[in-house]
Amino acid sequence: MTARPVVLITGASSGIGAALARLFATHRYELALVALPEPRLEALADEIAAAAGARPTTLPFDLTERDVGRRIAERLVALGAEPEFVVNCAGFGLVGAAAELDQTEQLAMVDLNVRALTDLSLRFVDSIERHRGGLLNVASVSAFLPGPGMAVYNATKTFVLSFSEALHRELAPGVRVTTLCSGPVPTRFQTRAGIRATLPRVLACSPEFVAQEAFAGLMAGKRLVVPGVGNKILCHLLPLIPRAVLLPGKFWAMRFSTQPPARRTLIFSRRA
Amino acid sequence: MTLLKPVAVVTGASSGIGAALARVFAANGHDVAVVGRRQPLLNALADDIAASGKARPLVIPMDLTRVDSPVRIGHELGAHGLEPAYIVNNAGYGLVGRAAELDRSAQLAMIDLNVRALTDLSLRFIDSLARHRGGILNVASVAAFLPGPGMALYHATKSYVVSFSEALHTELAPQGIHVTALCPGPVPTEFQERAGLDATKLPRLLTRSADWVAQQGYDGLMRNRRVVVPGWSNKLLSFVVRTAPRRILLGATDRAMQGRAAPPPRWPKRRELD
Repeated sequence: MTARPVVLITGASSGIGAALARLFATHRYELALVALPEPRLEALADEIAAAAGARPTTLPFDLTERDVGRRIAERLVALGAEPEFVVNCAGFGLVGAAAELDQTEQLAMVDLNVRALTDLSLRFVDSIERHRGGLLNVASVSAFLPGPGMAVYNATKTFVLSFSEALHRELAPGVRVTTLCSGPVPTRFQTRAGIRATLPRVLACSPEFVAQEAFAGLMAGKRLVVPGVGNKILCHLLPLIPRAVLLPGKFWAMRFSTQPPARRTLIFSRRA
Repeated sequence: MTLLKPVAVVTGASSGIGAALARVFAANGHDVAVVGRRQPLLNALADDIAASGKARPLVIPMDLTRVDSPVRIGHELGAHGLEPAYIVNNAGYGLVGRAAELDRSAQLAMIDLNVRALTDLSLRFIDSLARHRGGILNVASVAAFLPGPGMALYHATKSYVVSFSEALHTELAPQGIHVTALCPGPVPTEFQERAGLDATKLPRLLTRSADWVAQQGYDGLMRNRRVVVPGWSNKLLSFVVRTAPRRILLGATDRAMQGRAAPPPRWPKRRELD
């Protein structure tokens, strides 16, 4: 008996991940949603069940754990399911000087944004190919420039972009691979990262719009999706600006977009 | 409080650019600690440096793909009354082939080494680096400047290293800590053998010796250059790929990698596997 195809979405409990889950559900795909064990994951599954009929499978896993890829694969086998699409949306960022942020958290960011994404991207290639499906990796416009004040985050997203673009070429034409580089999207990401809620208006897009663009791009087999005109222009301009100008500018910009004084002084106080 | 002696910690020092970097630091009067997996090679290097009249480097045999290795390096240094003034993150490897067909755990171990251990070691000793007005030399590659079909993970890890190091360069400047990303082109070392590249097919125009690259990296770090790309041809290449259309680059890299994979053909197309 062949396993039934599902869409595996990580980081599905909120933000872009949840928007993508709803979108796949309205297109009648069966879902398997991975997120930290928390009520909102089940709530989303209930909501989708009410709207679309089939209830998504929920996989409450912490993707920063090192053997999590294997455990997800085992659960899917036990459920008689296998991925037709894999959407790597789980990820977080932290704002502040890398030397002063918690080091364990930054390494957990590497484990999630880089290691788990790579593991899940490669683990299911055979089943994706069998179902003529695809892989959607969520990066960010941060991938296009180093980020003083968000050093590890920008570096992880640069990794995602480079890796996914190479995979796009390697797996063509059997498997679609799309990288989503969204600009700022008001979600829980900002709260987690420590960014003030005021986002640059020209760049900000809603999670629903970003998910819609990503979905369309993935289905069309596009290599790169950058939602919004402002972000598209940004992606073309950033590589052309000399780094010597860009980097200090970025550092100052991060300084003023972080949360109120207590945190800012902690982050940017110079060491004695 | 006991005073700890400043030392330059070089990872992946058993051979290649790492060994060359250890020699350059020693030749310039720094005390050195060499980290690597192969103790006999590290001992031989340490003897060699001692024979040249410099202080014998501390040998720390360690597999950096282990998550706790940076902590243990810290303990080892402390036990010998040393603390880092310079961190040289040179350990790293690449694998040639289609990512979906290469061994997955070997590729995840590449992330643990090239990305995770490098990040950990870069951040763990900042206080001591600041005390000694030292620096961080992270060895990336020209591979950082473009995605690499046929070597997807390696290129991605190196683009991480450059992005991370460039950001650190700006962040740590106020504390007087130098941060440099060294981006060499092809250098004939054990890297090629491990990666599955044919060492006789390196592009001559781009290839430089490990010693020369190490010297360029050292000089760049001392002058606090953000990125060092040794050799005019590699400089030109890295400039061109930054502005070239990605679609063309991806095709070109793919074809170039296929031509350089070591024989016998270990790199079948996905479709041929079925």
